[in-house]
This record gives sequence, structure tokens and C-alpha cells, in this order.
Amino acid sequence: MKRFLAYRSCFLLASLPMACLGQATIEGTVQLPKTRFAPVENERYEIVSKAGVLATEPPRAVVYLVGKFPKSGNLPTKIVSQKDLVFRPPLLAIEVGTKVEFPNDDDTYHNIFSYSPPKRFDLGRYPPGENPTPSIVFDKAGLVTLRCDIHEHMRGLILVLETPYFAITDANGHFRLTNLPAGRHLLKAWVNSKTTWEHPVDLRQGAALHVDLP
Amino acid sequence: MMLVVSVLTLLGIFLAQRRAADDARADMQRDFELELASLHRLQDLRNAAVADRSNSLAQNPRIHAALEDNALDLLYPSARAELRDLMEEAVPGKADAADTLHARFYRFLDSHGALLVPPNNEAGELSSKDEARLAQSRLPQTLQTGYLDRIDESGLPTIDEIIAVPIRSTETNEVIAALVLGFKPVEAAPHGTAGMKSGILVNGKLQLAAFNQVAEEQIAGEVSRDLAQPSSKKKSLRVEIDGTPYLLFFKRLNQNSAYPPAYEVCVYPLDQLIARQARLRWQILGAGGLLLLGGFGVSRFFSRRLSQPFEELAVVSEENLVQRQRAEAELQTTAEELQRSARFSADASHQLKSPITVLRAGLDSLLARDGFPEEVYQEISTLIHQTYRLTGVVEDLLLLSRMDAGKLQLRLKAIDLTYLVDEWIDDLQALPEAADLRVETDIPATLQIVGESKYTSVVVQNLLDNARKYNRRGGMIRIVARRSGKQVELRVANTGRGIPADAQPFVFERFHRADAGEDVPGHGLGLNLARELMRLHGGDLRLVRSNAEWTEFSAVFCAPVPAARPSGVAS
Repeated sequence: MKRFLAYRSCFLLASLPMACLGQATIEGTVQLPKTRFAPVENERYEIVSKAGVLATEPPRAVVYLVGKFPKSGNLPTKIVSQKDLVFRPPLLAIEVGTKVEFPNDDDTYHNIFSYSPPKRFDLGRYPPGENPTPSIVFDKAGLVTLRCDIHEHMRGLILVLETPYFAITDANGHFRLTNLPAGRHLLKAWVNSKTTWEHPVDLRQGAALHVDLP
Repeated sequence: MMLVVSVLTLLGIFLAQRRAADDARADMQRDFELELASLHRLQDLRNAAVADRSNSLAQNPRIHAALEDNALDLLYPSARAELRDLMEEAVPGKADAADTLHARFYRFLDSHGALLVPPNNEAGELSSKDEARLAQSRLPQTLQTGYLDRIDESGLPTIDEIIAVPIRSTETNEVIAALVLGFKPVEAAPHGTAGMKSGILVNGKLQLAAFNQVAEEQIAGEVSRDLAQPSSKKKSLRVEIDGTPYLLFFKRLNQNSAYPPAYEVCVYPLDQLIARQARLRWQILGAGGLLLLGGFGVSRFFSRRLSQPFEELAVVSEENLVQRQRAEAELQTTAEELQRSARFSADASHQLKSPITVLRAGLDSLLARDGFPEEVYQEISTLIHQTYRLTGVVEDLLLLSRMDAGKLQLRLKAIDLTYLVDEWIDDLQALPEAADLRVETDIPATLQIVGESKYTSVVVQNLLDNARKYNRRGGMIRIVARRSGKQVELRVANTGRGIPADAQPFVFERFHRADAGEDVPGHGLGLNLARELMRLHGGDLRLVRSNAEWTEFSAVFCAPVPAARPSGVAS
């Protein structure tokens, strides 16, 4: 029913003139895969691989808006640190062109590398406090799996997106996207490496949409 | 006996030979099992090494990365360092356990079991057709063994032993891929039996060193046919290749494998065994023959020892039988003769009685006629007297013949013996010579005996007449009768010339009259007849004594049972 209403609102909005550049908001819930663990309120989760599918455990989703948006200038550098033999954060969403630094905050060596098609790299072994901090600029959209050649259990994900509008849900699947441009777009929710849901949205200026995925 | 010994010996030879054949077969079976066991030991060793390598691969983040992150092009390069030592060339000409750890090739299967083609030939050369045969419909969960028969780079047929080992995620323990390694098949050092060859049968093809293709196909065919039978439980097969018999053993090498079934096939030449068996057979036959001969000798010795008394017994019994048969025949003859003579006596007696009667009647009529001189009448009287004597003889003969024939019927009753004796003494008084004889009697007033009155009186008269006839002038007759128990004894003694000692045993025989003298009347049947009659009555007659003074006879009669005539006794 909600979806039906959403469609209808889009249809109604489409008939309005495209002069709307104001800030819109989408919030809603992504139906996360069932997990045998009760969702916890803290932010801790990890990346696991099951049957060749990479996902967060407990599940999180990355919700992002796909459309023709102008490229952002001065993209902020992001950080994925290695602390306590895990990547922090385990899942990072970035816009294409973002530079990510990989500081070693453990007291052991790490060797970050990726075989993922969007970005293959190998930072080699480096000790804690390596200066300058090894970093990579991700210039191609896609999912990048981070691994450590020394610690085979370490896994991190970087979802490189061609959009500046994205957010990671909380443990319950709630998300909120703000400052969205008006217009017809596609709302997507990345759930794991094999599953991405999408939902077309037509954003009116200043509108606040509620979209549940799927 | 000999037959039993022969059969037993032959059976023994047969069993011994079969035992020898079974033993030989068991030896070969053991060789085969030993070879398989050593084969499996080497395989286990290698499998352990390979599994260990698989674990380290699974722990290699780069392998994980290549598999999970769709970077399969980096899979083989990532694994190269890990598998380098496996792929190192063995030192040429140095075949040892390390050689079996030398892999010919390796390949990866992706998460669906499909083959991941290597980017170059660093993973070992393999045609794409053969590569495809390494793939599986799904990833193996355990280590699996298979065999790949193919044509190698130099165009020669070869077999690879392939080991597919799952690569498990270190996090979830899921099988994410598989590593397939190809090795030179493990060859176990042959045990025991010389000339044994072994090879591997896979996909209906057998590769067996030292055999040509035709023979290989024949053996493969035999084994495949046997395997095709669902109920086949045979462990071995016997085949003939180029005229030489062979024994085949086979066993599946890769149990529970998704790869096609492969069999270790061992071929043992039987010609040496058959020669050995032939030698053994002759040895056994020779030994058996000697045993048989010895057995025959021993059994013969014992059988002779054992049968001797029986043979003697048989001879004796045969003789006894002959004797008995002879006696029976004689008895039969005697009986028949007796019957015949009895019948003759009876017939003769009847035939004689009539003419005697006619003769006497004629003589009587002559005597009644007048006109003959006196001496003729004297003569006729003597002749008539002779006819009476003849009649007496004939009647005695008739009686004897009836007794001999067993046809004399006795009508027994109680008879007063005292009365019989008294009656005779009365008759004696009428005779002229009675004046010279003195008769003493010692008889109870009444003395009952049992008998037929006619015959009993014949006996009594006979005895008393004899006592009178053979007495001397002025002699004496003593008659004593006593009852003792169930018997009554009558003793008749007379004085006179006694019966000579040598004639006494024959006094009761027919027509025996000793030398009584012609003046004594009698025909020699009296005593015989009397004793026969006494015996017929259950009694007896015997001569007690006969000497110069006395001749005494004793006649024993049966006394009547008192209960039979209670009134009689009472009176």
C-alpha cells in the first residue's frame, strides 16, 4: 500500500514543473536479511563471506540515490583503519574518486590488498604508524573487498558509488537521506555483494519521502 | 576294504591338491592385498600432504580474494607460490617417495565445481578436453580420488591419479572451491609372486605394462563384464592370454568418489603355479600310491589274521552241515525203511493168516476122515499144532508191525495184576509139567496197574511162560510184585540154565532165542514184543540177572493215580 502511494505521489509530482532544486529527504527501512542474532544497537559488525556472497554480519545496507548528478569537487578523504585485527569501519561507502587512507592502528604488520575488479591494489606490509599513511584513490564504481595478506580473516568492504547521496542503515535497516536533489532518480539499497534492491523515486523539492525497500 | 582304502586315498589326493591350489590362490590374494595396502599407505601419505596444502591454500587470503572477488585470473598466480614445491620437477632417474609427491598438474574448481582455466601452463599442461574431465557437478565435500587416462604431450597413453581436495572458508567452513592435483599413479613395490603385473582400469580402459593393447583390452573386458554383474562377489578371475593362463585380482581404488570408478588390476601368471602344482600332484600321487600299496599290504595282513578263525569256523560249520544233512537223509531213509518194513510186516501177516487158517481147516478135515493109518493121524495132529504156532508168530508180527507203525491204540484202564498172575497159575495147573514146578508168589491181595488189559496180559503171560519153559525139571518160579510210588514192579524169577553172558545184551532182540534148544517152544519174538508193549505203556522190561541158579526179569508198570479211582482204593 505504501508502495502504491509512493508511486502515485511520484506520478503527481511528475506533472509539476522541473524548477524544483530544493532539498528533499528520503527515509525508510530496508528489510534486512534475517539473522540468527538479535540486532544490537552498537555499531559493531563484520564482513563475512557465505557461499561466495560477501555481506555484513549483522546485516547493514547501503542506500544510495542513482541519477545524473554533477561530480562533487573536493571529496573528503576517508579512513579505514586496521585496529584489533579488523577493518574499521568494516563497510565504507564512498563516491568515486574518494581517497581512502588505511592507517595501521594495531601493533602488528598488515598488508592490505584487493583483487576486486574496481580496484586492484596491494599496499604491501607496513608497520603501525606508517608515514605517510598508505592510501588509495578509488576511481571506479563497484564493490572492493579489502583483505590483509597476513591476517586471512580480515575483510573490509568499500562500496564505490557514482553518487554523493548515500547512507548506511542502522542495525534495524533504518536510513535517512537528506539534501537530495529533486528529480526522477533511482533509489538503491545494497544488501550484499549479490543483492541490490532499487526503487524509482521522483523527488519534489523539499519533499520528504518514505520508502521501504524492497 | 581295499575299495574303501582306495577311495579314501584318492579323496585325500584330491583334497590335498585342491588345498594346494587354494593355498596358492590365497598366497596370490595376500600378495594382492599387501600390494594394495602399501599402495594405500603411499596414497594416504600423499593425500595427507595434499590436504595439508589445501588447508594452507584455504588460509591464503589471496586465494580467497581471487575466488571470492571474481579475480580468477589472479587465482593461479596467487596459488603458484603455495604450490611451487609440488610442481617442482623430480630429479630425473631418482624415483623415491618424493617422486610420488610431484604433481603433474593442478587446477581449481570454482564454487559450482566448474573448472577454472589457468592463464598459462605453469599449472601443468593438460588439453582442454582432459581439463573438462576434472570438473565435477558440484564441489566435493571430502577428498576424492580419481584416475584420468589420457594421451600425454609426447603422444603416449598415460594415467594420472587425480586428487580433488575441497578448499574451505576459514570463517564459515564452507567449501568455496576445490583444488585438483594430478599425480603419477602410486606404484607399490611388487610383493612375493614373480611375474605379477598391476595396472589401473578406468573408463573401461586398462593400462598394464608388459602387455599389448589386445591383451589389455581382453583383461579390461573380462573385469568389466564381471563388474557389470550386480551380484558379482568374485575376488579373482581366470583368463587365458596368448595361451598362458593368468589369475586376475581387482579392487576399486576410489571408493565414494564422484570421479569414474577405477580399479587396481593385478595379473598373476599361472604357468609357474601350474607347473608347481603338476610337480606337487605327481609327488602326492607318488606318495599316495606308496601309501595305498602299504595300506593294501597292511590291510591284507590284518584281514588274513582276522578272517582265519572265521574261515575255519565256516569250514567246520560246512562239515557240520554236511554231516547233519547226511544224518537227516539217513534218518529219512531209516524212517522210510521202517515204514516200508512195518507195512510189509502188516501185509505179510494178513497175507499169511488166511493160508494158515485154510491149512488148519484142511488138516482138521483130514483128521476127521477115517481110513488113514495111525501114524498119519499123529502127523496130521503135529501139522495142526504147527499151524497154531504159525498163527501165534503171525499175530505177534502183526502186533509188532502195528507198534512200529505207531498205529497201536491203547485203551488204558486199571487192571488187577494179582488177578492176572493168579489166572496164569490156574492155567499152569492144567499143564502136565506143572507137577514138577514149584511156584512161590509174594503179591498183595490186590495190586492195580494201568494198561490195556489185552496187551498187559500178553506181557505177564509171556514172562510167566518163559519162566516155565526155560525152567529145569523140579525147578522153581518166584513171582514178586510191589508197588513203589507211582510204579508197580513185577519180578519173575525162574531156576534153570541161565542165559549165557554174551547173549544177555541181545535177549530183547527180535528172533533171538539164544541157544534155547529145539525142545523149547517159541519163535524169538516174545521178549521183544513184551518190552515194546511195556515201553508203550510207559513202563519197561529188563533182565535183572541170569546165572546158573536164577534168571530174573523185572517188569515195571504204571500205578494208577489214587485220585483217579478214590472209590476203588477205599474198597
